[in-house]
Amino acid sequence: MMLISLLLIPLVAAGLIALVRRRLLIELLHCLAAIATLGIGAAIAARVWSGAVPTAAGDLLRADALSALMVSIITFLGAIAALYSVGYLRAEFDDAHLARARLFFVLFHLFIFTMLVAVTTDNLGVMWIAIEGTTLATVFLVHLHQTRTSLEAAYKYLILSSVGIALAFIGTALMYYAGAAKAGEIAVNWSALRATAGSLKAEVVRLAFVFIVIGYGTKAGLAPMHTWLPDAHSEAPAPISALMSGVLLNVGLYAMLRFKAVVDVAVGHQFAERLLIGVGLFSLLIAAAFLVRQRNYKRMLAYSSVEHIGIICLGLGFGGYWGVFGALFHVVNHALAKSLLFILSGNILVQYHSTEIREVRGLLRAAPWTGALFLAGTFALIGLPPFAPFISEFIIFRAGLAYHPWATASAMILLVVIFGGMLASVNRMLYGEPPADLRRGDTLRPWLVPLAANFTVLLVLGLTFPYPFVAALKEVLAILGV
Amino acid sequence: MSAEALSKAVNLLSFIALGLTILLIVRTRLEGQVRVFAWQSLVLVFLSELIALYSGSLELVCVGVALFIIKAMVIPRVLNRAVAKIGLQRATAPYLGTAPALIICGLLTIVAFYVMTPIATSNPLPTADAIPLAFAGVLIGFFVMVNRRRAVTQILGFLMLENGIFLLALLATYGVPFIVEMGVFLDVLVAVLIMEVFVYRIKENFDSIDVGTLGELKE
Repeated sequence: MMLISLLLIPLVAAGLIALVRRRLLIELLHCLAAIATLGIGAAIAARVWSGAVPTAAGDLLRADALSALMVSIITFLGAIAALYSVGYLRAEFDDAHLARARLFFVLFHLFIFTMLVAVTTDNLGVMWIAIEGTTLATVFLVHLHQTRTSLEAAYKYLILSSVGIALAFIGTALMYYAGAAKAGEIAVNWSALRATAGSLKAEVVRLAFVFIVIGYGTKAGLAPMHTWLPDAHSEAPAPISALMSGVLLNVGLYAMLRFKAVVDVAVGHQFAERLLIGVGLFSLLIAAAFLVRQRNYKRMLAYSSVEHIGIICLGLGFGGYWGVFGALFHVVNHALAKSLLFILSGNILVQYHSTEIREVRGLLRAAPWTGALFLAGTFALIGLPPFAPFISEFIIFRAGLAYHPWATASAMILLVVIFGGMLASVNRMLYGEPPADLRRGDTLRPWLVPLAANFTVLLVLGLTFPYPFVAALKEVLAILGV
Repeated sequence: MSAEALSKAVNLLSFIALGLTILLIVRTRLEGQVRVFAWQSLVLVFLSELIALYSGSLELVCVGVALFIIKAMVIPRVLNRAVAKIGLQRATAPYLGTAPALIICGLLTIVAFYVMTPIATSNPLPTADAIPLAFAGVLIGFFVMVNRRRAVTQILGFLMLENGIFLLALLATYGVPFIVEMGVFLDVLVAVLIMEVFVYRIKENFDSIDVGTLGELKE
């Protein structure tokens, strides 16, 4: 019942917002829906972590610890982005453009809805439909500003993601076929497939997983299938960039994780691990190449997402208890830090009207809060203590040193390059003399308050490594069979 | 109907479907390309009803009907409307001409047989022999998307790729479950409607549906 209401709230909210005319009412509905979704999401996570596995709608919906982790990320960051959206949309689309603001709020909740379906369904076919749905829900959001560049970005995003996800369908169908011979009609359900994984045909499973990595890897932003990502993430409105980068990429990763758990049993864990180390390293390489002397700060954040998804894949590829633990920990940390920075990038855009790094001068003087938070967020993102990404990256590389010293060493070198490149770019934005005609003072300051939650969690996780959180990750590890 | 007869019929129809994908490369007029897609969808409808008859699956009969409505009727109509609305388009040259493109198609078919033959031979179903043909259709659809610069042809390439995947799933497993297949059709339909909107917007903004003109986003 809780699972169904989790999905119904954003869906109903989207429908209601589409009908309402008054802006204030739209915003009220929007915030209420986001907070209600967060409340139900937290309740479900609490139930799952106390040992229950809620199911609903026959065997269609099922939430285990891995689903609960994703539901927490989606609803938590969804609520924060939702609150900021109200202020951001007021600044970008005044009442003359109310229709587009309404479209934003409708699609926002449809977007949340599709992501929640993807992570709470047990049926791998329905998961595929929902992930394709995330593309369809976001494509008009990428094009919301209706500029020529956003048109180009949205078209590229739509075509490339659709093709990528189509390949994932081949993987799903092959996996279904690999299971059909043994498990009958139910084999398209993940839990049934997982239970019979030992008897699947190995050669079919291997081929299926290659398609899965290419297909869902496109959604997760892994290089070389990442080419749509910097365009789409930089052209979308800031709160949507925050969710696409911080949350949607993880949904693609989640789909890969589900299949990896089956593949590990069917053909041994080395096959998937080698593949993931390969794409992980390549993603780091591409990210490093484009992060040195990047000229656009939103593209900088987008390429940094390619980097962090690469790090997560390295952790999964290094494998073992600590490799996977570090990867899951890093999923949470990257989501928190990246959505924070993308939201702040919205503030910078509203004030400076440009996404070019060289147009942004003297951010610390012109907008002290935005600038200081942006700097702190960057520190968190590039892995400086006391923030949590430092710990998760440390765990991943510690796990890699034992069996994959060369991959670990090259990843560390690339990480140092990225570290230098990003700090240099951010430095150029923070200091110097702001343009003379620039309005001084932070824009949208009250709307930044929710970001305190991101910082708090990043610090708490980084400094205290709290036991309930570790226990929750341990349960996810058990599901993945590590 | 014996398993052997089914196998032969399925092979023939899959071969026709693949041939229609290749025809997309030869055709230059958009109306003709849309018609090729409609015919291919019709071949797939026929195939799924044939397999439904053989396996006695009512679900598959329904899938075939939905396929007919969505891919053979609605989507071709949507595309024809788009073609009519954007008017006559100066034919932009593909990146590769017809002859080299056909050679690539041949190579892609060989790749498809190389990748999928192990899967096909290990599959006990009488339809499995044609799996490599279906995968060749997927690869060639992808190639059309890369090779042609016109947005409408890219959409058609995507749809042919989708058809290839449908065929692949049909041959390997007699189709994925009904609810999943319906969801997939719905997704494809919405995707095509969104792509149609984008074709209009690209035409308005760039006065052309040559996606080669999209090139403002650079590093």
